[in-house]
Amino acid sequence: MKNSNSRISSRVQRNWDWRASGNFIGGGVGTGLVFWSTLLSPLGFDSLPLMLLGLALVGIGLFCVWLEIGRPWRALNVFKHMSTSWMSREALVAPLLFCVGAAAWLFEPSLVWPTALLALLFLYSQARILRADKGIPAWRHPRCALLVISTGLTEGCGLLILALPLLDQHQPWIWALMLGLLLTRALIWRYYRTGLKRANAPAACQKQLAAVDAKFLWLGHGLAALLLGVAWVQPEAAMIAGALAFISGAWIKYVLVCKASFVQGFSMPHLPVRGQRAPQRPQQRSQSSSASAV
Amino acid sequence: MNSSDSNTKTVPTYCYNCVAGPDPMKVEVIDGVATQVMPNFDTCNSHPGKGRPCVKAYGLVQKTYNPHRILKPMKRTNPKKGIKEDPGFVPISWDEALTLLSDKMLEIKAKGLVDSAGLPRTAATFGHGGTPMYYMGTFPAFLASWGPIDFSFGSGQGVKCVHSEHLYGEFWHRAFTVAADTPNCRFVLSLGSNVDASGGPCAIARHADARVRGYKRVQVEPHQSITGATAAEWVPIRPKTDAAFMFALIHSMLHEQERSRLDLAFLRDRTASPYLVGPDGLYLRDPETAKPLVWDSNSQQAVAHDTAGVVPALEGTFRVAHALSVDADDERHLLNDVDASTGFTKLVEHVAQYTPEWAATVCDIPAETIRRIAAEYLDNACIGETIEIDGATLPYRPVAVTLGKSVNNGWGAYECCWARTLMAVLVGALEVPGGTLGTTVRLNRPHDDRLRSIKPGVDGFMAQKLNPTDKENWVAQPTGRNAHTTLVPIVGNSAWSQALGPTQLSWMFQKERPEGWNMPEPTKPDIWFVFRSNPAISFWDTRSLTESIANFPYTVSFAYTIDETNWMADLLLPEATDLESTQLIPIGGTKFVEQFWKHKGSILRQKVVEPQGEAKDFTWISTELAKRTGLLEQYNTALNRGAGGIAPLKGDGYDFSLDTSQAHPSEEIWDAICKATSTQQSDTNETKDLAWFKENGLDLKPISQKSWYLHPTMEEQGLRYEMPYQERLLRIGKELGNRLHEKEIAWWDEQLSEYSALPEWHDVPGRWETALKNEGFDPADYPFWLLATKSMQYHTGANVSIQLMREVSQNVRGHTGVIMNASSAAKLGIKHGDRVAISSNIGVTYGRAELVQGVRPDTLVIVGQFDHWATPYAKDLEMPSLNTVAPMSLELTDATGSGADIVRVAIAKVEGETL
Amino acid sequence: MTRYAMAIDLRRCVGCQTCTAACKQKNATPPGVQWRRVLDIETGEFPDVRRSFLPVACMHCDEPACEEVCPTTATQKRADGLVTIDYELCIGCANCVMACPYEARSIVHEAKFAYGDQPMANEAVLFDPAKINVSTKCTFCIERIDLAEETGLIPGIDHEVTPTCVNSCASGAMMFGDIEDPDSNISKLLASTQSFRQNEELGTGPGVYYIWDKNDEEL
Repeated sequence: MKNSNSRISSRVQRNWDWRASGNFIGGGVGTGLVFWSTLLSPLGFDSLPLMLLGLALVGIGLFCVWLEIGRPWRALNVFKHMSTSWMSREALVAPLLFCVGAAAWLFEPSLVWPTALLALLFLYSQARILRADKGIPAWRHPRCALLVISTGLTEGCGLLILALPLLDQHQPWIWALMLGLLLTRALIWRYYRTGLKRANAPAACQKQLAAVDAKFLWLGHGLAALLLGVAWVQPEAAMIAGALAFISGAWIKYVLVCKASFVQGFSMPHLPVRGQRAPQRPQQRSQSSSASAV
Repeated sequence: MNSSDSNTKTVPTYCYNCVAGPDPMKVEVIDGVATQVMPNFDTCNSHPGKGRPCVKAYGLVQKTYNPHRILKPMKRTNPKKGIKEDPGFVPISWDEALTLLSDKMLEIKAKGLVDSAGLPRTAATFGHGGTPMYYMGTFPAFLASWGPIDFSFGSGQGVKCVHSEHLYGEFWHRAFTVAADTPNCRFVLSLGSNVDASGGPCAIARHADARVRGYKRVQVEPHQSITGATAAEWVPIRPKTDAAFMFALIHSMLHEQERSRLDLAFLRDRTASPYLVGPDGLYLRDPETAKPLVWDSNSQQAVAHDTAGVVPALEGTFRVAHALSVDADDERHLLNDVDASTGFTKLVEHVAQYTPEWAATVCDIPAETIRRIAAEYLDNACIGETIEIDGATLPYRPVAVTLGKSVNNGWGAYECCWARTLMAVLVGALEVPGGTLGTTVRLNRPHDDRLRSIKPGVDGFMAQKLNPTDKENWVAQPTGRNAHTTLVPIVGNSAWSQALGPTQLSWMFQKERPEGWNMPEPTKPDIWFVFRSNPAISFWDTRSLTESIANFPYTVSFAYTIDETNWMADLLLPEATDLESTQLIPIGGTKFVEQFWKHKGSILRQKVVEPQGEAKDFTWISTELAKRTGLLEQYNTALNRGAGGIAPLKGDGYDFSLDTSQAHPSEEIWDAICKATSTQQSDTNETKDLAWFKENGLDLKPISQKSWYLHPTMEEQGLRYEMPYQERLLRIGKELGNRLHEKEIAWWDEQLSEYSALPEWHDVPGRWETALKNEGFDPADYPFWLLATKSMQYHTGANVSIQLMREVSQNVRGHTGVIMNASSAAKLGIKHGDRVAISSNIGVTYGRAELVQGVRPDTLVIVGQFDHWATPYAKDLEMPSLNTVAPMSLELTDATGSGADIVRVAIAKVEGETL
Repeated sequence: MTRYAMAIDLRRCVGCQTCTAACKQKNATPPGVQWRRVLDIETGEFPDVRRSFLPVACMHCDEPACEEVCPTTATQKRADGLVTIDYELCIGCANCVMACPYEARSIVHEAKFAYGDQPMANEAVLFDPAKINVSTKCTFCIERIDLAEETGLIPGIDHEVTPTCVNSCASGAMMFGDIEDPDSNISKLLASTQSFRQNEELGTGPGVYYIWDKNDEEL
């Protein structure tokens, strides 16, 4: 079936731009950093500055959203729908995350642990926000949530690898963790894309993702893994690997939010019978088709 | 007027932006501002469209408040006229404007209303299908009081209308426009008739009901239009081969089906099928009375067709002992012992050559499809069945054939109109319930009742008012610039005839005359009025036509915004538009397109809101003009006669006539018209004044559905339809040829070939290729057919500058450029949204390519008419127009003076520009 | 219980956009914002092509995805089936725009008028600043439905309390009414015809039914 009218075809959403993707990037890398820096602090580094950096990134992400919303001075209304809205829940977790993080910094260092847990919760909320957006097939797919969580954790770990030597020293164990995360993210990415294909997501959406596939896998994973290998000889290479893991994750989320976010489109499971059914021609093709958008 | 609260009211009025109207509607007014258009559900049981106007009406609010409106009279300050010349319009007062205009008119009056060439010094062009009349208040009364006016400078008549249908339709069955009896129809064969886009709410509602009921419509057209979309079947025919397709259908019905499947009684009794045709191709006539002869099956001899008790033979060849034939110029021949065949037999023999296999090669439609459609037509014809209509038993023949623009105008249209009417008579489906119907008359009178337009004429047919072609009475000296009385006998010479003559000839002859021209040189009109019309966009070869307009010495435009025509005007007069002025018009009965009502009456257009700026009610303008040109007496007299509305202001049992010596305010005039109309309509039982109409909107009374059908009238008067054999047209053509040749006019010879008794297929599309060759071009360089299709959002709405129409039309394909087959585009490297140039031998037009599957690979289609360069807003739309690239050519003008809206073109991507 | 719903007979629709225009005018939506529109859809390949018209707008779902994601409770599902937006609560986050599978919602960030920045008189009268920077969509002409409550008129039968689009439709393709009432016109029509809803697999329970043929039993 051919469809030439662009108005019917699935089109990319235009309401969420870089500011919205900024929230998912800041939130992902920020919470990932808070989580890993806390979890791995027993390796012997001071996780507090890293946690603060992570919280700052989450804050920047939220600021981006604040810039995006139409009525910023009513932003506090965001807390009104805890019962079903993951955006409300994200909004609820955010102040808790900042408050507990601030308390950890100012009063009680052991509070970094609940902070890390809240960070995870924040990341999960973000994943569920996209999952609930039924209008965007690329987001509503259950595997999208997995991708958002895995890339958030990978980005956070990447930033940790990049930042640690600047504050403290290299931690080769984290490199090993990173390798595991990269492998996981790559697998989930592929798993996600297969899922979209099976769900018959809009072709244009799949095209956008296919267009970045090779670069994402080779630069964000292959090269990063290679550099991690090199890091055993030249530790600074790990910093580049961390940066690659972080930047590639941020980039893929930008693509996901701003480029691959094609709307559902409309379906036409039955064509209307106008008076009488059209006669079947010998070369007739199937007409029980749906509009190209689907 | 109903009001829900003190600041909000809803006001009834009408929309008559296209001929498919008028449609009742209401307008919501808040604090004196029109805010929204809505249906008038008070009429949901009387209006066939259930009180709903179409999408165009919803643009009227923006039309009222459009910031680009001209809201003060303006005069031109730049004496030079041209596309590149800024007119330098400056605002002036109404007093100054009317003084300028009346001085000009008095000057003309002093010189004489007709110039040295015998042509009116005053010309007027109004737009689409006479609809501007329903917005010009009492201006028709002013025009009537003025004297001769040339209406022949068309704004699209003949090339954009269903021209041949108007002329031949009215000739054969008083069908200025033709429609299916949709509410009763089972099968409609539609050749390019796009009623679901241009038929207005009445057609849309009726066809929607019919679809749900389960009727079948087969749409035969090169591009799947809106109506093609809503049909049960789309048959993509090669452009301009429709006649061949229909000839093959007729062949199939006459040569491949049982004769009993036709309505033989109808053919015998209601048509000229049994008339005997002699060896000279003319009817054999009674030597005494000159009445056409038929072969009486009882007495086995030839007798006059109206002999009592005759049972005419429908088919056969018979030996006739004594007969007369009457040729052109009343040349009479007495014939003895000649063989004569019936008209029907002549037809059967004539179409033997047009087999479905032959047509398949011409039309690109499989022969089996043609056979199946012919069979389906017969299957659904219900021969022998009857139906009760308001107590009368009428034949029930629920099959119809409808034709669209470019099928029923230009070369090939005569053949198509003939074939369509013939298909109806073969099964007795002409003018009977379920069948093919005429809807209104314009060349005959009275306009509001076509049944009463039928009077017995010669040869057992209805009387015709044709322009004379005999030596004594032929109008050798044209009385208008399109020479309609001289060249086109069938158009007649009633009030509408001139505008339905070959209007492109007026424009063509302004520029150049054919070789051997020996009539007076067509002059320019001293003054030209334009209203609700933009011929610089809506005609053909628009760039060149614009030059002609620029050469007119004095143009007066009743202007809404600046446009391409009034860019050349000398005076712009802003009239109060649709929602700002008052007028009472007829509604209901049977009107254009599918306006078949079971009610009839009158409807008021009222001042829903105060006019913007200094825009003035047209009635006020008309009265002022009459006063200032010394015509008040005649103007008021014309109003009293009924020229301003529907009924004369004085009639049996009532007198609301105006004092002819006074200038009356607009409201007073319309109050008198409302009273006279309602009094006359109620047989003087009830008088309703303007205030009543303002409150109630319209005044209707029920009429019988029998008024939809001519059949009972034809039966009562014992008349026959002039089908299938066209002896009269053949004779008229010969006579016209004689007259023209006597005057040494040879440039109309090709057109004379159309006058044939049984139309033959000639290579209609080939005419366009030949025309190109004759102009020195290679047809291979212009491999595509470019067609135009109608847009409901824009069609004749004069609303191209309305943002709302632009916005909603973007949801309908074709509204960004040119529709093209995707496979053809791929071969040329053209992608969806590419900016393309569409060029013909005379010009180029630009737009975006819209690639679809639903159009033939050899065909391009442009929606509507755009390519504006002066109209605010519209000039930024970057839409193409067929009119820019369509040449005006005598060679491509048929005998009725019409041309088909089709051009040979090439298409190419304009590098570097993609949407 | 009352559940207002709409049935659109695709056999009737001619894609004329009268409903689109009527809705724009009645609800004074700015240029480019169409709370409803009619899609012009082509299927098949030359010469076996079908062209169909599909009017789309807010489906007033049983389980509105927009309502679920709305963080402010501005979007609500009413007991009578209407999905509403409280413009005073909405923060314009666009989450509902993303959640709606039917492209029904729009947000504009600045006042725009048909001919630029300045409103025409009709636009000035109807302009509502509350609709700027918040999510908007088809309301099923909610104030008319509410008027029905007050007056006892019946939506779908009495034009004063029927959505503008339904009233305007030149082909009579739209019917509105209470599908919980088996005797309502819409219930009877749906019972005698075959219809589908948009993307039912998403579980949103759309309140707009698309009729495409008569009932098989009648064939």
